[in-house]
Amino acid sequence: MLVPYLLLGAALFSLGLIGFVTRRNLIIIFLCTEMMFQGIIVNLVALGRYPLDGRPTFDGQVFSLFLIGVAAAEAAVALALVVLLYRHRGTLDANAWTALKDE
Amino acid sequence: MPGVLIVVLVLGAIGLFLALPGGRLEWTRLGLVSLAASGGALVFLIVDRAAGEAGLALFIGGALVALFSAVRIVTHRKPVYSALYFVLLVVAVAGLLIGMQAEFLAAALVIVYAGAILVTYVFVIMLAQKARPPGYDSRARDPFWGCLAGFALLAVLGRQLFLPAAVTGDTAVPGAGTVEAVGTALLTQYVVGLQVIGLLLLAALVGAIAIARRRVTAAPEPELEGAD
Repeated sequence: MLVPYLLLGAALFSLGLIGFVTRRNLIIIFLCTEMMFQGIIVNLVALGRYPLDGRPTFDGQVFSLFLIGVAAAEAAVALALVVLLYRHRGTLDANAWTALKDE
Repeated sequence: MPGVLIVVLVLGAIGLFLALPGGRLEWTRLGLVSLAASGGALVFLIVDRAAGEAGLALFIGGALVALFSAVRIVTHRKPVYSALYFVLLVVAVAGLLIGMQAEFLAAALVIVYAGAILVTYVFVIMLAQKARPPGYDSRARDPFWGCLAGFALLAVLGRQLFLPAAVTGDTAVPGAGTVEAVGTALLTQYVVGLQVIGLLLLAALVGAIAIARRRVTAAPEPELEGAD
């Protein structure tokens, strides 16, 4: 059952990547990064549950918990930045922020 | 690489390209049909590969829900609906984790993601609500190249996964990811990492407050739309 889980993880990561590249709404872009995290969590837990050799360990689950923590930190900072950008220009369009210079 | 995988990838790429916002609504429906066909081929591929193994039915159900909600997150034109589909994705992934005997992680995922992070997202979406739907949600940026890059990545990964005898069979002894087991690993082997992640969360919270409290003096400029 390892290969199906890894395939699903890869599919979630790729879909998140496509959304990250193609969507223009800043909030959707950050949602797509969270979707990539979901794919990585599936991968980590699957590799812990079905290891290539030896007994299954809990390392994958522990790493996934760390990943959830990092995702929470990232969401806090990213959404604060999104709110700040929205107050500056009144738009969430990523194309409005192609130049990140100070005004 | 099995031929079915190529069918899955090609149908998926075409479907996602059509379903991304930018085209007409009929094309979106056509793209969703193509994506559904791609999902059916994927189910066939996985059943062919892992027939008779334990937990296959749960995996297929969870995987289909997860892929459907992932596609809708990427293609939906309203951000609130994308956020709600993300909740569905988190629930599906939690079901898959239960299938891999990671019960504690599944509970933590639902609580932290669906409970905390998504509520923050929905709040920000509502804060940035416009009276009329803005144009940047209905036009994707370079959907062709985006789909090409994403599915090329998926093709490379899938090809490696389906190399003959690349991975061994199920050698695992069943274990359970209970609070006790995960907590013991977390507080003995990975205790330094636990402290570091706590510090990171604290720093991120302080940083988020510092960023969000900043006063904005410049008046909001008129909305830039369609500036490709």
